[in-house]
Amino acid sequence: MNQFKQSRRNFMQNSALMAAAFAAGGVAGLRPAFADRSKELNILCWEGYNSAQVLDPFRTSTGATVKAESLTNDPTMINRLRAGETNVWDLINVNNPWARKIMFPEKLIMPLDRAKMEPYFTKMGADFKPPYKWAMDDSGEQLLGMAQRYGPYSFVVNTDKVSRATAEDQGWDLWNDPANDKKYGVLESDDWNVFNICCIAGFDPFKEHTPEEIAKFGETAKKVFKGAKMVGDIATMNQALVSGEIDFHMTGGTYSASPARADGALNIRAVTPKKGPLAGGKGGISWIEITSVVNNPDISPLAVQFLEYVQDPKVAHTVAFAEGTFNPVAQMGNPDCFSLFTKEELDAIQYDSLEEEMARSVEYDIVPDYDKLLDIMTAAKRDASGG
Amino acid sequence: MNLAKTIGPGTRHALPILLFLLVGFAAPLLAVIGFSFIPARSFSLWQSWSLGNYIEIFNSTSYLSFLWSLGLAAVTVLILAMICYPIAYGLARVFGKYATLVTLLFTIPLFVSENVRLYGWVLFFIKNGVLLGTLKAWFGIEPESWLFTNGIIVFGMVYVYLPFMLFPMTLGVSMVPDQTRDAAFDLGATRWQVFKEVELPLSMPGIMIGFLLSFVLAVGAIAEAKVLGGQQIIPISHDIEIAFTYAQNWPLGAALSVLLMLVVGTMVLLVLRRFDLDAILGRR
Repeated sequence: MNQFKQSRRNFMQNSALMAAAFAAGGVAGLRPAFADRSKELNILCWEGYNSAQVLDPFRTSTGATVKAESLTNDPTMINRLRAGETNVWDLINVNNPWARKIMFPEKLIMPLDRAKMEPYFTKMGADFKPPYKWAMDDSGEQLLGMAQRYGPYSFVVNTDKVSRATAEDQGWDLWNDPANDKKYGVLESDDWNVFNICCIAGFDPFKEHTPEEIAKFGETAKKVFKGAKMVGDIATMNQALVSGEIDFHMTGGTYSASPARADGALNIRAVTPKKGPLAGGKGGISWIEITSVVNNPDISPLAVQFLEYVQDPKVAHTVAFAEGTFNPVAQMGNPDCFSLFTKEELDAIQYDSLEEEMARSVEYDIVPDYDKLLDIMTAAKRDASGG
Repeated sequence: MNLAKTIGPGTRHALPILLFLLVGFAAPLLAVIGFSFIPARSFSLWQSWSLGNYIEIFNSTSYLSFLWSLGLAAVTVLILAMICYPIAYGLARVFGKYATLVTLLFTIPLFVSENVRLYGWVLFFIKNGVLLGTLKAWFGIEPESWLFTNGIIVFGMVYVYLPFMLFPMTLGVSMVPDQTRDAAFDLGATRWQVFKEVELPLSMPGIMIGFLLSFVLAVGAIAEAKVLGGQQIIPISHDIEIAFTYAQNWPLGAALSVLLMLVVGTMVLLVLRRFDLDAILGRR
C-alpha cells in the first residue's frame, strides 16, 4: 500500500515535471543544455518589445531567432524566473524596483559591464544620468539593467466631462465622491489597482500596513468596485471614455491613454493629482522600465547586443511607438532621438506636461503586504459582483 | 518473456492511444489535483500536502462565484432550450431545402473567434455605438446603455452557446420517425399530445446532449462576463484565472478548478443517471 502511494506520488511529480517541460518547450523549444545559442535570443517583456517593428531589424542584422513573450504584470514575470525559467530567458523587461530589490538579490539577473553600458545613460534625459538609482544595485557598484520606457500612471479622464484642473485638484477623492457612482471604470491591472485603492483610502501603498489601514483598504475596495461601471482592458476603457459610457477610469496614464490620443481623441487625458497620500505629499505614481540580463547559465551573447541595439535613437523611437501602447523613452534626452518625434506623437504621449507629472509622482515600488491586499481586493471585487 | 504474449492484442493495439491519453489528459489533470494540495502561493509538488487551500475556499466568498456561474449557465440553457427547439424543429421538418442555408448561417460565426464576436457586440451596444448612435441620430432618443449589465451577459452567453444547443437538438428532432407521428395522429391524438407524448420523448437524446453540452460550456464561460459585462459579475472561471495570474496562487487556482470539476461532474452524472443516454440512443 505504502509502495503504491509512493509511486502514485512520483507519478504526479513526474507529470508536473513533464507539463512544465512542455510549457517551457512551447516558448524556447526543447533544446539540449548548453547548445550553441549565438543565434538565439529569448525576451520576457511588456508588450512593444515583442513587436515586429522592434524585433525584425534586429533579426535581419543578426540572422538570429528572437522570441519575445509579452506579459502585462511584473510579479508574474518574476515568478516565471523563480519557477526555474532562468534557463529559458535572456532578457527581462519589468518596472523599476524589481531589478535592484528582488531579482539581483535573488540571483535571477546578472550585472552588466558598467564601462560599456553606462555611457548610454549620459545620453538619456536629465533624470536618468548615471549612476541611475533604479539601474544600480543597493551598493551602487553594479549596473543591473538599462532604462527606456517610462511615464506617469495615476488615472485618466475625459476632459469634456471632468476638467484637467478639477481632476488634478480633487485627485483620488474623485472615487470617494458618491456623485461619481457608475461614472468610472477600473482598468484590469490588479497590482496597480492595489496601489490606487490605497491612495483612495488615504495612505501610502508602498509600506507595511496597520490592521486599521488593511480594514480601510477592504472597505474602500468594495466601494470602488461597487461603484464601477465596468472593469476591463485598455481598449475597453478608451472605448468607454470616447463613447461617453464613463467619465474617467483609474489605473491609467500616458501608457493607457496614448492609443486613444494617437487616434485623435485628445480629450482623453492622463492626470496626475497635485497632492495625495504618497511620500512627500505627492499625488501620483510613475513607472520606469528596466531591462536586465537574466542569470541564464547558457546566456545568449545577443542579450547585451540587443540592449545596445534599442539605445539607437531610431530604434528607441520605434520602441516608444511600437504596437500596443505609446510611451515616452529615456532616450528622448538625446536630441537625435527627440527630433524623430512628430507633434502628433508628442501630443499622444502628453509631452507638454510629462516633466511636471513625473515630478508630482513617486516612483513605482514594491508593496510589502501585496499578497494580503490583493486577496482582500479580489474578494471585494467578487462581493461587488452583480452590481 | 514475449511482450506480445503477456498483454492481449486488444490492449497492445490500444497502447498508443492509452499512452497519449495518459500524457495529454490524465497527467495535466493529476498535476492540477496535486497542486491543489500544496501550500498556498508555492510552486513545487515536493512538499507536505494539506487541505489548506480547500479550507481557505470554504472560509471565503468563493461560493458567490460558483453560484453566479451555475445560475448564469442554468438561465442560459433554459433560454437556449426555448429558442432552439422551434429552430431545430424548423431545420428538421419545415425549412426543407433552405435548412442547409439556415444551418450555414448558424455555423459561419463559429469561424470567427469568440472574443472578436463579443467585441463586435460591444461596438454594437456601446453608447453612441451602432444601436444607440443610430437611435439617437434617426429618432433623437437616447436610452440608457445596456452594456455592462447582468442582462447583456446572459445575452452574450445565449449568443455564443446557441450552436451547441441547436445542432444536437436538430439531430434529436430529426430522429423522430414520421410513422410514429402519423400513427399518433391516426389514433386521434391532438397536436399537443403528439408533441408531448411522441416528439418530445423521442427527441430527448438530442435535447439532453444539447442541455449537457451547453451547460458544461456555459459554466466555464468567462469572456461574456468580462467583455460584455465589464466584470460586473465574477464567474468562477474568472476567479480561477485571477488565482493563476495576478495572485500567483496556483494551488488556490488548482483547488478551485478541482471543486468546479467536482460540482459540474456531479451534476452531469446526476442528469445522466436520470436520463440514460446509452439506453435512449440504443433504442434506435
